[in-house]
Parts: sequence; C-alpha cells; structure tokens
Amino acid sequence: MRTGLHPGAWIAWASGAGMVAFVTTDPVYLLLLWALAWFVYATHRVPGPEARSFRLFLLAALITLGLRTGLVLLGTVNPSNVAFAFLEGLRLATILVVFGTFNAVTDPFGVVRLAPRRFHEPALAAALALSIAPRTVASVANVREAQRLRGIHVSPLRSLPALAVPVLEAGMEQAVTLAESMDARGHGRGRRSRYRAQSWSRPAAAIAASALTAAVVFLSASFGGWAVLHPPTSPLAWPETEPILLGAIALLALPGFVRGGQG
Amino acid sequence: MGARLRSFALVASVVLATIGAPAATGGAAACADEGPHAALVVGNGARIVKLCVTLDAAEVSGLRLIELAAAQHGLSYGFGLGGAAVCRLDGVGPGGDDCFAEYPDFWGYWHGDGREGWAWAGTGAASYRIGDGDVEGWTWGAGDTGATHPKPPATDVGGVCVAPEPSASPSQTQSPKPNPKPEPTPKPSQPSSPPSASSSASPSTTPVAGETRDPSASPKADKGTATEEPSPSAAISPSPSPSGAVLAVGPPSGGSGGAPVGLLVAIVLGVALTVGGWLRLRGRSKVAT
Repeated sequence: MRTGLHPGAWIAWASGAGMVAFVTTDPVYLLLLWALAWFVYATHRVPGPEARSFRLFLLAALITLGLRTGLVLLGTVNPSNVAFAFLEGLRLATILVVFGTFNAVTDPFGVVRLAPRRFHEPALAAALALSIAPRTVASVANVREAQRLRGIHVSPLRSLPALAVPVLEAGMEQAVTLAESMDARGHGRGRRSRYRAQSWSRPAAAIAASALTAAVVFLSASFGGWAVLHPPTSPLAWPETEPILLGAIALLALPGFVRGGQG
Repeated sequence: MGARLRSFALVASVVLATIGAPAATGGAAACADEGPHAALVVGNGARIVKLCVTLDAAEVSGLRLIELAAAQHGLSYGFGLGGAAVCRLDGVGPGGDDCFAEYPDFWGYWHGDGREGWAWAGTGAASYRIGDGDVEGWTWGAGDTGATHPKPPATDVGGVCVAPEPSASPSQTQSPKPNPKPEPTPKPSQPSSPPSASSSASPSTTPVAGETRDPSASPKADKGTATEEPSPSAAISPSPSPSGAVLAVGPPSGGSGGAPVGLLVAIVLGVALTVGGWLRLRGRSKVAT
C-alpha cells in the first residue's frame, strides 16, 4: 500500500511536464526535463517492481530517439535534417521519460480508481486495456513453460497455434475476473466507499499548481510566440534560453524536494 | 514481473499515441479552385503582397512555395546560406549569400495559424511542409522573436485564393470592374479582374487588377488571384536598397547577449538535478541494504 502523494498531484505533474515537452524541441528545456524527471524519480521511487518501469521507459525513450533520428537516412542526410530529426526524437523520448517517471512513482491502477462514478465504464475499459496486454504476455510465458515441462519442443513459429488458444482463453478469463472484482468492490455503484481515501496534502496541491503553471507558461509561449520554442535547424543555430521558461521548468522539480512518505 | 510487462504495454500505447498525434493536426480551408493552393504574404517594409500560389505537389517546402510564387506571379527572390535560407524577397534584402548581412533587419518567417493569425516559425523554410489551404508569411524587419518582429496582416486563405467566377473571365474583359468604391480616375484600358474579398474589403485605393507591382519589374499579370495593399508606411518606395539585410529563418545565432547566461544556468541546473538524484538513489539503497 502506497502512502505517497495524492495520485492527482502526479497526474498534474505528468501532464504538465508532458505538455511542456510537447510544445518545444529546444534541447535545453528537454534535457532539463530529463534531469528533473530523474531527480523526481530518485526521490519518490518505491522499492519494488514498479520502480523498474522507469528503466524500461528510459530504454524505450532511447530506442525511440534512435529510431526517429535514424529515419532521416531515408531522405536527404545533412546536418540540418539530422538535427531536426534528433530534436523531434528527443521530444518524443522526453514524453516517454516523463511517463516512465509517473509510472514509477504512482500506481496506474490507483489512478484509474480515482475516476468519478459516472465514468465507471471508461475507467473499467482503461483498467482492462492497461492489464490485458501484459497479462497476455505473462500467460505466454506460463504456457511456454508448461509446454517445456511436458517435454514439448517445437519451434517458436510452429508452436504458435498451440500457444494461441490457451493464451487467449486465459487473457479473456482474467479480464472477466478483473471486471467482476471491480464490480464487487463497488465500482459503478452509487454507494461506493473508499478505503483509506487519500486526501490532498498541502505539498500535493503545491505540486499540482506549479506543474499547471509551468504548462500554462509554455503554452502561452507556444501560442503567443513570445519565445523561441523550436530552435532553428536550417541554418543550424544554438538554441536560445528564455529565463521565464527556465523558471517554469524549474517549477516541475518541486516534487523532488517534497518527501512523499509522510503525506 | 507483472508490473514490468504492464509498463511495456504502456510504452507501446504512448508511442502510438504520440506518433499519431501530429498527423491529426493541420488541414485548413481549401481553395475553391482546383488543385492545392497556399497563400503567401510578403511584407517588404514598404508594401504587402498577397499571392495565391498553386502547389505542384500535395506538400511543398517553404522555399519551393517561394519559387512557385516567382514562377506564377513574378515575385523576385534570392536564396542564400547555401540555398537554405531566404535572403531577398520582393526587391528587399541582401543580394549575396549572407542573409544576415543587414542584421538586425532580416526576413522573418511566419506560419498562418488557421484563424487569420500568425505564429512565428520555429523551423527552416527548407524543411517546413506546406499543404493545401496553408498560409505563409514573410516580413522584413528587426526582432528575433515573434513578439518583436513585425507581423504580417491578418490573412485568411479564402481571402487570397478566391474562386474564379465562371462568368467573369479573367483578364481580357474591358468592362468597368465591379468595384463599389468610386474611382477618381478610372483607366479604361486597365484589365479588370474578379473582385477579391481582401481587396474590396480594404480601404485601398489600389486597383484590384491582377498585379499592380513595381512597373519596372514587369510582372506577369495573373488570374487576379494576387492582390496588393499599401502598408501603413506606404510612403517608402519598394526600391531594392543595397542596405537591406536578411535572414531566412528564425533568429540569428548568438544574437542576444542573455542567451549564454541562460544556457549556463540551464546546464548548472541540469547537472545539479542529475547529481542530486544520483545521491538520493545511493542514499536510499544504503538504507535498504
């Protein structure tokens, strides 16, 4: 059971940081987001399997960056194009890192639990979507192991039909079980009660407010055009750094200075 | 184990969502004419020219749009910095390869935001893709950001690319043109053109004919899709002064003195956060073991 900050604060932080990453390709701001995501992760990571998701997302981010930059090989290769592709990839990768941090410091299922009653069905669908793919992959491993234990050695390609039926069946069964258990716990019912409902602590509210401020500042720069968010790549030039935007990004590091355990 | 696989599914969904998102944007009002069109607005400091450019592909680059405008409307231009930047447009700007020769004045690059407004371009005209219904703007002046550089006038692609009326054939009609405004000295020999929304709405005394550009430039008269409005500072003649300086895209490098300081602060902040996170992780694992 986690006793960290309110999941809503993390939702606000992740959407704020994600929004910032979405509107800029400036490597200064993006790399700062990497640094502060790492800082926030280091402060709030919970020992256990969930913390691993940060590493996983980091890996995915690096692969994304490599793939996006590699796509330039399909066209004209010159410094401008490579830089442009790299910055676009860096933006995608930053969003992944932010999401990985979010995943490592809070429980996605706890977030789904926050959904208001009237959104019961979307929340249920989201919970199923979040769980069915990993569960299917897990049951593939289970069935594989069971086959091996029984001495069935077939090539991975040939074993596909033998694998598909039990895996699909198991996935479906688990989804139904999850839906039933959510229903049994009162999701979608009028008298749903929350066991040890988390309250909004002052640090959580401050984190949410600062994250939203950062997002608003960057959005206003994006729509108002009062700062350069996309450094010119043709011709190549050093990115400019706007002090106001630097301050806005620094706001996103706030969770790193708040200890969640007591909250 | 479960959590790890779960995260993997999350990665996949986020990657798909982010890749799909940019594709959903774009798509403004299309010209009524056949084929893809884009509007090009050029303000050289003395006057503003609005051109409807027919695209020769579904998507063209910002530089290609200028070439097409030159071919279709006689817009004069010059590229520099190895052909990647716009040095010279409509008679203004340095003639050489150095588009920054006249800095702080340069050619600022704008994208229409689809609501008649403008957004400062963040990427070069060589790599930006323009599709049907897009609006592009270039303005000559000083200012390194969209906040300080002169903005083009509010422009809607529908006001520049007007559908040709079937009855009014373009240039050869000698009948007086259907302009609601009384003209002091109507020239009978002047070719008339279908009224364009932008020109008839503006208090311009400029005739709405095809293109009334610099007489010495001998532009090709076009289908009446090009309109010109005198800018507020119309007193200046659009003579190409050799003192004009230019830039194609974005601010010149190293332009503002505050940038290195900001960069330094950013680096210090980033290093501090990284080291801080590392120390925290180390402290934690010591506690755990």
